Parts: sequence; C-alpha cells; structure tokens
Amino acid sequence: MGELDGRVACVTGGTRGIGRAAAEAFLREGAQVVITGRDADKGQQALEEMAGGDNVHFIAGDVTKREDCEAFVQGTVDRFGRIDILHANAGGAASPGPVAEITDEAMQETLEWNFWHTFWTTRAALGHMIPQQSGRILATSSVEGKLGKPGLSNYVAAKHAINGLVKSAAAEVGTLGITVNAVCPGAIETDSMKTAGPGAAESMGMTYDELKSMFSEASAIKRLNEVEDVAAVLVLLASDAGAGITGSLISIDGGTSPY
Amino acid sequence: MGKLDGRVAAITGGTRSIGRAMADAFLAEGAKVVVNGRTEEKGQQCLAEMNAGDNAAFYAGDASKQADVEGLVDFAVDHFGQLDICCLNSGGIDNTAPVAQMTDEEWQLELDWNLNQVFWGMRRALQHMIPRETGRILVTSSVEGKLGKPGIPGYTATKHAVDGLVKSAAHEVGTLGITVNAILPGLTETDTLREKAPETAQALGMSYEALIEMFTSASAIKRPNTVDEVAAVALLLASDAGRNMTGTLFPVDGGTMPY
Repeated sequence: MGELDGRVACVTGGTRGIGRAAAEAFLREGAQVVITGRDADKGQQALEEMAGGDNVHFIAGDVTKREDCEAFVQGTVDRFGRIDILHANAGGAASPGPVAEITDEAMQETLEWNFWHTFWTTRAALGHMIPQQSGRILATSSVEGKLGKPGLSNYVAAKHAINGLVKSAAAEVGTLGITVNAVCPGAIETDSMKTAGPGAAESMGMTYDELKSMFSEASAIKRLNEVEDVAAVLVLLASDAGAGITGSLISIDGGTSPY
Repeated sequence: MGKLDGRVAAITGGTRSIGRAMADAFLAEGAKVVVNGRTEEKGQQCLAEMNAGDNAAFYAGDASKQADVEGLVDFAVDHFGQLDICCLNSGGIDNTAPVAQMTDEEWQLELDWNLNQVFWGMRRALQHMIPRETGRILVTSSVEGKLGKPGIPGYTATKHAVDGLVKSAAHEVGTLGITVNAILPGLTETDTLREKAPETAQALGMSYEALIEMFTSASAIKRPNTVDEVAAVALLLASDAGRNMTGTLFPVDGGTMPY
C-alpha cells in the first residue's frame, strides 16, 4: 500500500529535475500524476521513461501564462476527477543580473516564472481543495528563498515572495484539511541548472564550476543536493503523516541556510 | 524491506509520547531500538506493548544525569553492536517560574535535562559515529526553540541552545556521513500532556480544552500536533533519504513559527 493511494497530483515543470523526481515518487506511492512542461516532445519522452501507464498524464503549457497555469489545474481535474496535491515546481532565473543593472523584463519574467506561476496554480487548486476540505500545496522554493546572493536578485526576490505566499495561504486554509508548504533545496545539478548555471555564474563574476563550489562550500556536507532528497520530503508533506506540517519552509540544503 | 533495516537507534525518554512514537516507527522499519526512561516498571511495560522481542531493549536512567545519558549510548553499542541513530528526545518544562523568581537550582535542572542531556548524548554518540563515518543525531527541540513564552524561560533558553548546538555539530561532521538535525514540534498531545495539563489548567482557572486552545490558537491548523506526525519526520531524517539534510530545524507545528 502506498502513502498516496487514491491521490491525484499535478506537478508543474515535471518532465525533468526536481519535478520529475517528485512525480516519480508520487507515482511509486500510488498517486495519479499530471506533469506539465513547455515542450510536448519532452513531455512524451518523460511519459515513456516514467512508464506509469494511465496513471500519468502530460499537459503542455507555459507557466509564465496565467491561462496555462489554470489549465494545468483544470486539466488535472478533468483527467483524474480531482486534485489533491499541487506541486508548483517550475522556476528558474531568467537573465539574472545585479539590481543596478537588471532590466524590467528580466525581473518580470522571473517573477512570472516563479512567483506568479505559484500564485496562479495555488489559487486555482484551492478553488477545488477548499470545497473538498483536503489538499496539499507544495511549492519549490530555494535556499535563496531564505538567503540572498549578489547578481541573482530576481530569483532571490521571487523565491522569498513564494515563501511569504506559502505562509499566508497556510494560515488561511489551516483548519480546512489543507496544508501549504515550501521546500527550500540547496543547489542541485539538474538539467535546468546545467542550462542556466553558466549564465548565472557569469552574472556573479565567476565560472560555472566556481558557482557549484560556492554552493557546496557553504553547506555542511560540502556537496550539492540531489533531486531524490527533495522528493522524499515532498512525499512526507503530501502524505497523511504531513497533516500537521503547514506554513513551513523546509530546508533541504545540506546545512546551508541558517534557519 | 524496511527503511532502517540493520540500523540501531537509542532514544532518551523513549517509553512514552514522542520518543515512543519514534521507537515504534523505527521498529516498524526494521531497526533495533533501545528506549530509555527513569523507571524500570514503565520500561518493562513499554517493551511489552511494543512486542518487538529481541529487537527492542530498555535502559533505565535519568536523562538529566551525565552518567545515565552516556550509559544509554554505551549500552546501545554493547547490546546491539553499534549505534546509527541517536534521538535526544527527553526534556520538558520542569519549572514555570518567571526569570525574576527563578532560583539557580531550578535553572540548573532545566539546563541539565534539556540542554546538557543533548550535549552529553551527542558527544558520546559522535565519538562512536565519527570512526564509522555514518550516523544520525536527532534532537527533539520545540517551537519554543524559535519563539518564547512567558513563564518558561528555562525551557525556551535550552531549546534555543540545542538548536544552536545542532547547527554547529552539523557543520563539524557534515562530510563524515553523519547528519545532525532538530525537530521542532508545536504543542503535541502526548500521554504526559494528558496527565499533567488538567492540573495546570485547573491552576489557571480554565478547562483542559481551553488550555489546549490557548496554545493551538497560534497555529494555522488550530489543533495540537500528534506524536505520529513528529515520528514520521524523525523516520525520514533517520533514513537514507535524509542523508543530505543536516543542520535543519524541522518544524512540525501546524504553521506556528514565522520561520
């Protein structure tokens, strides 16, 4: 018997990285899962690799668009009849730069990608969860939701904003059987970090290898985290055992964040 | 296959309440467990209830005494051959005097029970774990490790102190396969609470329910946490899935703490 038997989950940015690990962990524990991503080809590839049959479904769309975010939630309900778990996971840093130089567009795009997407999907999911008086909202924040690195202001601000949203929403729905939490992973070398990392490193005046060292050196374990570390915490928060944990910003960062 | 097959755990204050829930959860996942408490009779009753045969043992000792705390660690190693998981869980509110009226003796007792216990147990356990380059230290802290209520200065100060100890130790052993974490439960409905709280409530001129509500009104879920919710987090941190989480102050408080 799985810890998530009979539950339905929607994971944004679920074809790769943390979202993919979460989707696979939810499937293993008996849930039905919708994953989302921008690229239909990558979506199909993910479905084949996950081999979850009818229990996993892909919806193509762009999390920086409100209609798409709302369609992910509605599409999950249409496909599997309900939504019990929303994992608002997609995100990243678009054209990072220091505050004195960053463009409006880079700030706006990063806020939409991370914060607005989390807000849009959370609002839509709560529309289903409040009447059913049960649910789990899980947001992928970051160690940068608690700290702040130079040259990453858009990402840092967006992740801090997610943490605030999580705390307010948790207090609003705390007596309705719905929990709202954020996971705050340290740096993980996902495909998306390999793609965006070199640009972020350049914005911070260093090489990509130096960037990775900077993150691992700040931790106690002196290495980067892994997607499975995050997925294990997400399963706990999504399961019945997580019913008493809400409004929490759980650090999964090898001892990096001070709180 | 259990998540803790082949592991050995020792738990201070493990015969009842949160510690007992941890013991039950660890046993269910294949670990061998030594529970500790002050009275032989309660220990034997606990062993009978756990019904785990040779996989469980009891060590009688007072968690506010150095020899007994170190004795528990040594006993676990002697009895089961190793120690993989050390839960420094005992503790509580021994005195409700405000700072202005607290005596040195009362203060010292709070320090010994809540703080020194953790230090003595952690030091002894690490001396065993460091050469083996593997281990898990779990400390039961509290929401009062981040907050502070009037009338419990000893409890509040010692819980803040163990959080600091956890963070320092996590960095010292972070590359040695050893993690050190604290769990911060909100008010948890335990056997001990059910026994002692009615009397406290009466003294305060309120019902037991009103007393519980006074504590839970600060949470989002408006109810106490359960021992099983705390044990589920302990299990995650003790398992392989928790290998990259360290120095973390893990909240299980229904959304009470602001950070």
